[in-house]
Amino acid sequence: MTDEAIIADNLTYFYGQLTAVDHISFSVAEGEILGFLGPNGAGKTTTVKLLTGQLVPKGGQATLLGLDVARRPKEIQAQIGVCFEIANLYEQMSGVENLKLFARLFGVKEFDVAALLARVGLEGRGKDRVETYSKGMKQRLMVGRALVNRPKILFLDEPTKGLDPASAQAIRNVILEERARGATIFLTTHDMLEADKLSDRVAFIDQGKIVALDTPHRLKQQYGKRLLKAEIAGADGGLETREIVLDSPDTPALMETLFSQENVITVHSEEASLEDIFIQITGRGLI
Amino acid sequence: MSLRRIGVLLEREVVRGPKNFLFIFTIAVPLVLTLVVNLVFGSFFSGKPKMGIADQGDSQFVTLAHAVDSIILKEYATDADLKRGVEYGAVDLGLILPAGFDVALAQGQKARVTAYVWGESMLKNRAVLGTTISVLLRQMLGQDAPVEIVTETVGDGENVPWQDRLLPLVVMMTVLLGGIMVPATSLINEKLKRTLRAITTTPATIGEVLTAKGLLGGLLSLVMGVLILLINRAFGIQPLLLVALLALGAIMAATIGVLLGALVKDIDTLFATIKSLGIILYAPAIVYMFPEIPQWIGRIFPTYYMIAPIMEITQRGGAWPDVALETVILVVLVIALIAVAGVVGPRIKMQEA
Repeated sequence: MTDEAIIADNLTYFYGQLTAVDHISFSVAEGEILGFLGPNGAGKTTTVKLLTGQLVPKGGQATLLGLDVARRPKEIQAQIGVCFEIANLYEQMSGVENLKLFARLFGVKEFDVAALLARVGLEGRGKDRVETYSKGMKQRLMVGRALVNRPKILFLDEPTKGLDPASAQAIRNVILEERARGATIFLTTHDMLEADKLSDRVAFIDQGKIVALDTPHRLKQQYGKRLLKAEIAGADGGLETREIVLDSPDTPALMETLFSQENVITVHSEEASLEDIFIQITGRGLI
Repeated sequence: MSLRRIGVLLEREVVRGPKNFLFIFTIAVPLVLTLVVNLVFGSFFSGKPKMGIADQGDSQFVTLAHAVDSIILKEYATDADLKRGVEYGAVDLGLILPAGFDVALAQGQKARVTAYVWGESMLKNRAVLGTTISVLLRQMLGQDAPVEIVTETVGDGENVPWQDRLLPLVVMMTVLLGGIMVPATSLINEKLKRTLRAITTTPATIGEVLTAKGLLGGLLSLVMGVLILLINRAFGIQPLLLVALLALGAIMAATIGVLLGALVKDIDTLFATIKSLGIILYAPAIVYMFPEIPQWIGRIFPTYYMIAPIMEITQRGGAWPDVALETVILVVLVIALIAVAGVVGPRIKMQEA
């Protein structure tokens, strides 16, 4: 058994002439949350499909839990949970029936469906047909379905996309609980704050290539600018804003000038967001 | 492949299937068609095959025939009455037993019997009555009797009853409609709603999913096939062979359904494909419906080898030697279809709407 739960080695996939995943390599340690960030069409979902055995790579290799995904997909799929980007539940069945069906396919014998529904905030709605659920409820049920086999690795593809804050928070809580249980989590998201808050490390993917991979803190240190923002009283009685870059040789002098010559009302520091860093690295935004 | 997982998937199909409109449609159509055919052509309440006898002596054959439950026996005083009765369809078959018939048989002499056959009588009735006569003669002598039966068709001999003509179509629709449509639509829906991707990202394989769907289609097809033959009182005297043939037909239909489900993109395209395929699938029944069309044309189409043996047994009282060649060809066709499904199935394209 390796300490690395996921290893992608030169992983490549293309649809006809379009290279969706271009020789990417990375690894995710057991119990780690990796945030996988990138704009639409960057290759995030294709990467998830390659790692979960839904697609066979055209080049390179994916190894999960020490097993080659392309050669032994079913052994791996028995040990992972996948929450898809788009809801793919049996709408005519109830939430309980959906969960029980998947538990049986995984061969799970002991299974507390009520407790799982409660974990994803669906207590009391388990017997209702899924077609009567809101988008947020369906997404929470999808997350619940990905947990029926107590997976060693959990793949979450945009799990909070378009959800109301309460639903999104419920899913974030589940992610943290799963990490605490020891599961490895591969999280693709558009939400930079979510990635920043949840991920141990983040990877930026753009045009099929990983352009940066590190902890959010180190990425900010490496690429971002730490700023001090001050609001000062202007001559006309209004407020003006001053920004001072903290990691510059001129910083001490600028700070001294600010505090000695201006009427400073408020001061706060600001660090670069992951989105700023992504734009800095790729020259374009995440949407 | 795991039988346990196939069982889980099949259970879901069985529980959810009856709530699907197409599932109900495939059950209702053959039943309604049978009802309409039987009501229109007036044979729904016709009951058992009818045999008339004009006995010129005092034959034991008549006594034995009265004891047979599966036929209705009617005695006529004269040959002319009997012939008239057959001409008007009062009985399907009329038998003239000459004076001294029993004595001739007992002495081992060859007896000559005239049988009038109503031209519009149903083929299965003729088959049942022919078999009954053989059985009764054997009962009388304890061995095969040296009897020459001279048949004469009376009434409209050219006019094959429409119920007989339509029976192959009804049986084919019963076996093919459910067998093809249920797995095909279920598979296409799973692709469109992306649940197939969710299922196959568990330990369940695409082969297990296809097998479960094929099994449901096949079982539905088999049960409906048996039911329709029972309703049409066309089960013949070879029930096991008939069920085996229906089962092969059901497997053939379900495999075609799985293949269509795997290859076709959406329900509209499926219906368009079924419309195009319909002529190939049902051609043998259409050829059978019109005796003026050279009947060898039916042999060109694969489904002929499913329906021909079934009709041979149900309508003409055939047995294994009469249907062996067609059955072997059917088995080969089924194996070939399963092999194609085995190759195509795992390459199933999941829709990315």
